[in-house]
Amino acid sequence: MKRSDAPAALAGLRVLDLSGAPGQYCGKLFADLGADVILIEPPGGSPLRREAPFIGDRPDPEAGIPFAYLNTNKRSVCLDLGRNADRELFRRLAAGADLLIDTEQPGVMAERGLGWEELAKLRPGIVQTSISPFGQSGPYAHWEADDLVLLALGGLLSLGGYAGGEPTAVYGQQAYAAGSLFAAVASMAAVLGAEASGRGDFIDVSIQEAVVMALENAAQFYDLEKVVRGRTGGQQSVAGSGQFPCKDGFVYMLGRGISSPQFWTSTVRWLNEENVEGASELQEPRWLERDFISSDAAKTRFAELFVGFSMSRTKEQLYRAAKERRIPLAPVCAPSDVLASPQLRYREFFVPVWNEFAGRAITMPGAPYQLLGTPWRIARPAPGIDQHRLEILSEIEAVS
Amino acid sequence: MNAKAMTDLPLAGVRVTDFSWIGAGSYLTKLLADLGADVIKIESSAKLDALRVSPPFKDRIKGVNRSGYFSDRNTSKRSMTVNVKTPAGLALIRRLVAVSDIVANNFAPGTMDKLGLGYEQLKAINPRIIHIGMSMHGAAGPEANTIGYGLTIGAISGLQYLCGSPEREPVGSGTNYPDHVPNPCHGAFAVLAALRHQRRTGLGQNIDMAQTEPMIALLAPAMIDCAVNARDVPRAGNRSADRAPRGVFRCCGEDRWIAISIGTDKQWRSLCEVLGFPADRESWRTASGRLAEQDDIEKALAASIAAWDAFELMERLQARGVPAGVMQTAADVIERDPQLAHRSHWRKLAHPEMGDALHNAQPFKFARVTVGPLSAAPCLGEHTEEICRTLLGLSAQEIADLQCNGVLC
Repeated sequence: MKRSDAPAALAGLRVLDLSGAPGQYCGKLFADLGADVILIEPPGGSPLRREAPFIGDRPDPEAGIPFAYLNTNKRSVCLDLGRNADRELFRRLAAGADLLIDTEQPGVMAERGLGWEELAKLRPGIVQTSISPFGQSGPYAHWEADDLVLLALGGLLSLGGYAGGEPTAVYGQQAYAAGSLFAAVASMAAVLGAEASGRGDFIDVSIQEAVVMALENAAQFYDLEKVVRGRTGGQQSVAGSGQFPCKDGFVYMLGRGISSPQFWTSTVRWLNEENVEGASELQEPRWLERDFISSDAAKTRFAELFVGFSMSRTKEQLYRAAKERRIPLAPVCAPSDVLASPQLRYREFFVPVWNEFAGRAITMPGAPYQLLGTPWRIARPAPGIDQHRLEILSEIEAVS
Repeated sequence: MNAKAMTDLPLAGVRVTDFSWIGAGSYLTKLLADLGADVIKIESSAKLDALRVSPPFKDRIKGVNRSGYFSDRNTSKRSMTVNVKTPAGLALIRRLVAVSDIVANNFAPGTMDKLGLGYEQLKAINPRIIHIGMSMHGAAGPEANTIGYGLTIGAISGLQYLCGSPEREPVGSGTNYPDHVPNPCHGAFAVLAALRHQRRTGLGQNIDMAQTEPMIALLAPAMIDCAVNARDVPRAGNRSADRAPRGVFRCCGEDRWIAISIGTDKQWRSLCEVLGFPADRESWRTASGRLAEQDDIEKALAASIAAWDAFELMERLQARGVPAGVMQTAADVIERDPQLAHRSHWRKLAHPEMGDALHNAQPFKFARVTVGPLSAAPCLGEHTEEICRTLLGLSAQEIADLQCNGVLC
């Protein structure tokens, strides 16, 4: 079956995407599996259009890379929801929609007469998912926050950065990504429920809370052992596991398994076979003792031994050698390394997407999952500002 | 949670035969379970889910039912111990697949096929079945057999490289980030989309998710920038190309910091007023001026903020509409944060060996139903007998025989 002929998992689903930067990935997930997603932009266009980086570093609202990525397969109409006439258009769109995603300030939609209770009178099956920094109510509900502030209040910032140094945010607006992702899962489940029962729901997503989900075992460590995890960047977690420099960059090696000694045994054998000076001492039993391998002395000694070896090899050479021995060691890849990955090329992960501003197709990350019966696909690039106004208005007319 | 309320949950009636373990897979199926699906975790006493024996433990005593980490990752599920490598064990799984909608695993490629449970085999049992395999690099390709974990996914995907200071080595997220948010959420979304297709057409399908790819998708701006503008973006620490100042500043007290992010000129003026900032320059009153001189601004802010109590400064700034937040630790988010308390984020769930253990609630609330977590993680094999009796129709004698023969362990 040709990809373009294959059925789409979300065919027939109508989504209204009234979101800014924190929510547009949620709508993209729906759009790329075949839902009809209408991006409702404020007059002048989504503020995300003006966010860097830009194609050719030209700060043009049609050249923004984040917008072009987050809005593939969507259609665009600009509405000024401060105006009665546009609120009426919005209501008519909502009357035919299965899902509304918004990132408005808590309470604003209700003030406009567009709260979920009102919309559900027009369309009982509609699901509304509101993504906000802290949730719809509570002491912080009206606080101001961007991605960095949410990483801070959600706790993830306390785990990122150099040991003893300044906390460092994870790259790529991951607080917004987390909010969008949990919103997408909850919305999809609610839409399934609504398709079965005929009744929609209102979903209140807190981005701060979504960030808290990324704390790994830090919360449970505090609860059960009263240990507060901190930043360990630049340090080995235990001797043998961490980031090490090599000839042309860095590698990340997990020389210690989660619960079995197998990776360590393989690592010691490897270093001895390579005649790494001093590697024979790693066979001593103390290198299997929890207290010792957690000590600074052990980490320092391991680094002395290993870095002497790793600096004479490239990340690719180390990766191949470790792979043969089934040791989890990965090159620390720059974006250019990722784009050149033979594995990703084999999977056709990166895809060309037409870009009007560039006048050519540009390369973007493609399917994050391969649904073999209902393939992910890009049918159209991100829309221009208000590009689909006429066709969307005529669809509304046809319905009424 | 009473039975009536559970049947109202959006995924009520959906059944998952769950082979996933350790990280991303277990978190994916936890999402489904908390939303009402009947998730049956297939386990083996001989080859334990490594998280069952990963710290932290209740009272620091190691035990298969004592890990707080495991319990948080496996809420609302049932556990069945089966030796799938015995013919009788495999037969039981096949019967379970026949009454399931979804089969999930995060094994290396080929593992399920060797067990006799590859997608084609599952499809022959139940054409409606949705199978998701979430291996490191996907089911096929030159690297398909390379093993990996969250941290090596971070390295391979570019995440590790992109995080940190421009002057220092890459530092990553400080966690196995891909395991916690990108992979479980993408996987759950894919499975639910496939479930919609199944309900509409009666057809299941196979989903192949490489655990590197959702992470790379979330790093798209750097990837596209590289492809289009032919450069690897330098590490930017906490700065943004769109606004300044944006940074994390040390406050008084041990390891206390505040994040501040100025998006408008008005927020900048408010920040200066709250700090009594004497060093404000004419050029700092516009966004372009602040972006151009952010080195100087950060130095001035650091000096001015160092004596502040982080929480007090946050309250004062937020009262003036300035985006600011304390770098909260795990202790802060659990014990101090009034917003997370308002949302009842932290749930003490009853557990037979751990007492009332701390679990995350999901970061979403539904208006009409209360979603999970519905219960703490199951004890190892807690529901084996119940599932054999009620779902597989085995008699007490048959169950006892299978237990004696080492099939149900």
